Amino acid sequence: MKGTSLQKILFYLGLVLFIPGILAFGSALYNGPSAWSTDARSYWGVPIALFVFWIGLAHAGTLLSAIFLALGIRLDHRTAMLAELSTLCCLAIAGIFPLMHLGVIENFYMVIPFADARGNFANVMSPLVWDFCCIAVYGILSLLFFWTQLKAKVNSSFEKLRKPVAWILFPLVLWVHTVVSLDFASTLVPEWRGAFFPVYFIAGAVYSGLALVNGLLCLEGYRVRLLERLMLAVSWLLLVVWLWNFLLKGDFCTSAFILAGVIPQLLLVESVRDSRAGRGLISLSVLFGLWAERFYMVMPSFGVSQNCSLNYTDLGLIAFSAGTFFLLFLGLRRVLASYVSDAGTFFGEVDGSDIAKNEIALGENVGHDSRDDQNKDSYVAPWSTEEFRLLRMPLLCGILGVVLFSTWSLNQNAFEHVYLTLVNILPVMYPIVALVAIVVLYLRYFWRNNLWKSTSKIERYLVALLLVMGGLFAGAFYAGGPSEPSPYEPTFLKETVSEPSLLWNARCSSCHGTDGNFNQKFVREFYPVPQKLTLDRLDSLGVDSLAHVILNGRGNMNAYLGRLTKTEAKALVEYMRMLARNNEQKNERDAVGEVD
Amino acid sequence: MAVAGILFGCRKLPFVGETSSADPTIRQFQDEVRLAITKAKEGLDLVRVQAPGALSLPDASRDNRFGMAIDLDACDGCGKCILACSLENNVPLVTAEEAAKGRFMHWIDMHEAAPFMCAHCENAPCEKVCPTGAANHTPDGLSAMTYKRCAGSRFCGTNCPLQARKFNYNDSRKLGLSHQFNAEVPPREKGVMEKCSMCIHRLQEDRARYKTSSAAAAVVSGVPVEPWRGRGVKTACAESCPKNAIVFGNWLDEKSPLVEATRNRQLYAPRQLAKFGPSIVYMMGRR
Repeated sequence: MKGTSLQKILFYLGLVLFIPGILAFGSALYNGPSAWSTDARSYWGVPIALFVFWIGLAHAGTLLSAIFLALGIRLDHRTAMLAELSTLCCLAIAGIFPLMHLGVIENFYMVIPFADARGNFANVMSPLVWDFCCIAVYGILSLLFFWTQLKAKVNSSFEKLRKPVAWILFPLVLWVHTVVSLDFASTLVPEWRGAFFPVYFIAGAVYSGLALVNGLLCLEGYRVRLLERLMLAVSWLLLVVWLWNFLLKGDFCTSAFILAGVIPQLLLVESVRDSRAGRGLISLSVLFGLWAERFYMVMPSFGVSQNCSLNYTDLGLIAFSAGTFFLLFLGLRRVLASYVSDAGTFFGEVDGSDIAKNEIALGENVGHDSRDDQNKDSYVAPWSTEEFRLLRMPLLCGILGVVLFSTWSLNQNAFEHVYLTLVNILPVMYPIVALVAIVVLYLRYFWRNNLWKSTSKIERYLVALLLVMGGLFAGAFYAGGPSEPSPYEPTFLKETVSEPSLLWNARCSSCHGTDGNFNQKFVREFYPVPQKLTLDRLDSLGVDSLAHVILNGRGNMNAYLGRLTKTEAKALVEYMRMLARNNEQKNERDAVGEVD
Repeated sequence: MAVAGILFGCRKLPFVGETSSADPTIRQFQDEVRLAITKAKEGLDLVRVQAPGALSLPDASRDNRFGMAIDLDACDGCGKCILACSLENNVPLVTAEEAAKGRFMHWIDMHEAAPFMCAHCENAPCEKVCPTGAANHTPDGLSAMTYKRCAGSRFCGTNCPLQARKFNYNDSRKLGLSHQFNAEVPPREKGVMEKCSMCIHRLQEDRARYKTSSAAAAVVSGVPVEPWRGRGVKTACAESCPKNAIVFGNWLDEKSPLVEATRNRQLYAPRQLAKFGPSIVYMMGRR
């Protein structure tokens, strides 16, 4: 009972935070980056700190459910579900901030390494491109994993899919956070440099994620001792990293050290860790400490320079993220209540004493003839587990997908003009493998077991809608925005209406040749052969339509609107006609010469 | 979908609030330059460098690498170059709050008494991290911006050790903070990064003119066309300097004023940029 009333209070707290938060968010969206304060050196501010913080929290669910599942660590379904639900909520929040912090939001799709109709290709040298791909794939797969877990309650044949997906997600979590850390570590900002950043970020993410899950478990009214111990262990790892950072660069975040380094050590005191309030407050303190740490990292000159201070929009954005999380999580928790706290799914224990007992029993087993026992039970010959057999073909498909992507992108124009190598697309390779493998895995499994029948009508419509939406988005991005001719004309064209012969030589002769015959060498090597400009053909087309073709292009002919005026185009048509006449006369003379 | 609609559409909404109809006067630009000089950034930490040579980038031109040299013995930090640059490139003013923070849009910053603009590094760190490829390098050695492709992630600004890049926080036309003095240079939209372009419009204009006239001359005389070397072009800051402390030219052209001016001089570059191969360097003292 106490748990539900606390949840209600938190729901209202979420509402209280959300309403001013959404106003601040709207104003930030409308006004752009001038609305919130940005660091003088990094041009980044609270949105990026929020992004790093929430993406870190998002790792808890995958860690607890996927990695524990893959490694065979026992955790009850209820905890795993809570953790995964929190992952999805955190990911949704984390995804908003890097988008809204852009100066020109509608250009965000240019970050995707996917050539558009104009042949533009994202700069795959930039960590932001890797970041975008990794997080997009991570979001999709987390959603799929969560959905599978929900379905497994209804249809037990879905249960078989969970472990293979968990094995794919395991490296993906580490991969994603390594790439997020590279956003910082690959720059020249002195505070952000260091080869230890991936480890540091992963440890921080796991730590904050565990704190969140422990806090949520307090809310539910039970505890899992394993997670408390894990949190304590990770706090020591992070303390070591902080010490290393301090010795290396002299950077030290006191608030993070006290809130997330010192206070959690109270978990060692029995009376504190046995009280629900104590555990909840410690989790909260860790979250605050890690938020402070992320914030000071993203804005290194905060507090140092007087020009950098928080305004209402910053506070509103922070409130927005927290409020959205409470509303989203508690709302979904209520909707999915039957899945989360169904008596059938609950096979864990309330305070973890069961697991502890099991472990003690296991430890005693290790004492004597454990080897034989374990060999009998747990030894599996290499390459023969069921999940490996399920994953083998999809993984090969994923690797094939990566090979195809690499060969395709290496042939992109960008690779000829900039020093780009295979190394630059290495960070997006695993996400591609994961995506392709899981899609193939699901399709194949559905196909073989005829699982389509077990999906509800709504789900099928939803999938169809998503596919159509995805197709529309991809098509829109491929086509790109409308391109208007530039209103800025070079003055040398405005000053005088140029001599048509000069224009012809400058603009047209590269393909059509200075004398109106083709520039044979160029055309044969680079371009399809243009239309022959014979006198008959020119006379049959008329001045206006030819001028139209010059200005607006046709087939392989480029449009010259904005570079030539209408009168110049018409003058060029006349010039073309003159050249054609000359050529005709020349041909006649040649023919006469041959006859002679 | 609704979220996506709000996210992508909202900054295209019509402007709410006061729109200023009065264009700023030149006096306002002068005052802002004076203010910027009083708020000069900390001095440059200069190290000796070699004269820039041919670019080692794929596609680089073997004839041209444009650059400048700033004579710190002659420069007295008057700030006329900043004003000339703003008028040439339609650089907007900033709001009072931003001016108080020292956040100006000027493409040239004063570091103590030395003017500093984007050094157009050969291996520019800003171009490496631009996710969309809006920051790119021309074959002639300019670090250029494709404004239409910029998504405003500001990653390039983060990665420039000397903050040569300026971000358009405001829609300066609607706030009445900009005036298009020069019709050749498009005003930048809100939300994109901008920086010194080394007056690329002057170079492009000269190139187009050269190619038009020389192609015609080649037809008449039958003599093959000499490659364009950008002779005779000057940037706005170089033109405006009363002491001729800023020299623009082509590092690969022996006849260029830049090569002549730096021939017997000791060259320097900011320590943070020296390893990236800057095209704009400082000269001090005789060799």
